[in-house]
Amino acid sequence: MIKNIINIGIPSKGRLRKDILKMLKKNKLNLVSERGERDLLGSIKNLKNVKILYLHAREIVERLGDGSLDLGFSGYDLLKESEINIQNKIIVSKKYGFGKAILVVAIPDPWIDVQTVADLEEIAFEFKDKKKKRLRVATKYPNLTREFLFSKGVTQFKLVSSLGATEAYPFTGSSEIITDITSTGETLRANNLRILKDGEILKSEACMMISKSATKSSLLKKLVKLLSKN
Amino acid sequence: MKSKNLSEKILRSVKSKGFKYIDLPSVIEANHIVQRSGESFRKFIFSFIDQNGSELCLRPDLTIASCLRYLENNLKGKEKIFYSGQAYRKSNNKKDSIIRNQVGFEIIGSKNEKNDDKEIIKTALKSLSNLNYTKGTLKIGNVEIFNLLISKLNIPKRWKLRLLRHFWREDYFNDLLKRLETNSDVDPTIVEVDKKRYQKMLKDKQQTVIAGRSIDEILKRFDNKIKDPRRTSKGKNVSKIIKDFLKINCPINQAAKKLNVFFKKNNINLAVEQKYFPTSLNKIQKLNVEFSASFGRQLEYYTGMVFKIDIKSKSENINVINGGRYDKLISDLGSKKQVPAVGAALNLNY
Repeated sequence: MIKNIINIGIPSKGRLRKDILKMLKKNKLNLVSERGERDLLGSIKNLKNVKILYLHAREIVERLGDGSLDLGFSGYDLLKESEINIQNKIIVSKKYGFGKAILVVAIPDPWIDVQTVADLEEIAFEFKDKKKKRLRVATKYPNLTREFLFSKGVTQFKLVSSLGATEAYPFTGSSEIITDITSTGETLRANNLRILKDGEILKSEACMMISKSATKSSLLKKLVKLLSKN
Repeated sequence: MKSKNLSEKILRSVKSKGFKYIDLPSVIEANHIVQRSGESFRKFIFSFIDQNGSELCLRPDLTIASCLRYLENNLKGKEKIFYSGQAYRKSNNKKDSIIRNQVGFEIIGSKNEKNDDKEIIKTALKSLSNLNYTKGTLKIGNVEIFNLLISKLNIPKRWKLRLLRHFWREDYFNDLLKRLETNSDVDPTIVEVDKKRYQKMLKDKQQTVIAGRSIDEILKRFDNKIKDPRRTSKGKNVSKIIKDFLKINCPINQAAKKLNVFFKKNNINLAVEQKYFPTSLNKIQKLNVEFSASFGRQLEYYTGMVFKIDIKSKSENINVINGGRYDKLISDLGSKKQVPAVGAALNLNY
């Protein structure tokens, strides 16, 4: 039997959800949910064999990786942060240009002697040699952060995983610096943090992604083609 | 080198030079490695957590396991030891095997450094004679010369430390040289803005801690940084000296001469004698012996003499032996005293 249901993942909340829904609407794809707006399952009006699943944006990447979603919308940052085994199973078929944000290294603004990652590298060694501690970096993106800091010569640090409100960490004693995703930098500034001059880790935007194990149905191909236009 | 016979022959060669066989644990505490190298080694190790929450890892090389043995058993004095077994490392290169079969030998805790260096090279050559090859090279370097050169250069202290710290990471080191040339780590416009802030912060309570650093600490470092008296032209000049130095490559018997000419030309108050090097023979067995100033950057822990032997066998170039001196490894792993150590490992993986 050919699997002919197409499973599509859409972020269940936030700005990314709004932007994606807007884009689908523009392409005359109307989403319906039997039990109203909070329903986590849905379908597309007049399209049989398509199931919509509303999931956390991080989970969309995971489910594309294990093949339980065929098509999904999520952030480029989340894809790049995911495990290599997952990334290998996903194709980015369209970058949309909305949902833009940058993953950055941010430090306490009063650290006026620190402008670049090179300064940070020195500070990290000071922590190790003089304070006998590791510089702690709080982040929701441990993989990307580790890789970036290594590539810039910063090796003496310890990652602290955070699930949210990372901006407060340096001032509550949970970490010294952070990396976080930002679009305008306002939240960082409001929390007395400053982005390093060369502290850009990754540019992100909303993407359409396809699972490599997705169904080979012609309907999926059509949908991908339609949604790749804008 | 798949045959057991051959590895036994090699072990016999090492033993005949007076080394004592020891067994090493396959699993070591990851802490030792992470404490020493920060997160950088994490990329290579296979680690896991035991029932008590301690992080363990498969030994990424035998040298670390051997130095830990010396440290943990509170050994003192000279030890001449050898060992064989597998080391486990992740690699970005798909061709590399994650399992590396090695035979290693070391002299630990002996103050007779120059002689020990020679003895390790001799032992390496003796074990090499068990292999079939047509020709090869023995490349010799010394990280100490680089360290001395940097100490004599006219650049701020923080730049010296930076260059020393990253000598072994070639790409990043080249980035650093570029930055040294352009002086781009001090941005004059930002400095002007921050100077005002600096004045203001001087009036704050100096002991106040902001994210782990006191205001006093922050201001002192800022002050040091903007007082950096360096002009761009100077940075360029220093960068050129370093680059020229790293290009020095010659038959071993000319090493001292070449280096001394270089030091004199660049007005650097250093001189080296030929007997500083473990040999002055340009040809040993079927090997050409060369000196290379840039050699020694592969591994972070080398502190002095370094060498490697590459051989040609069936039209392939194979790196079979790597070795050198690592006088700081045991203290980095937790010993209060520095313990001299030199050793080499034979790669049996080809």
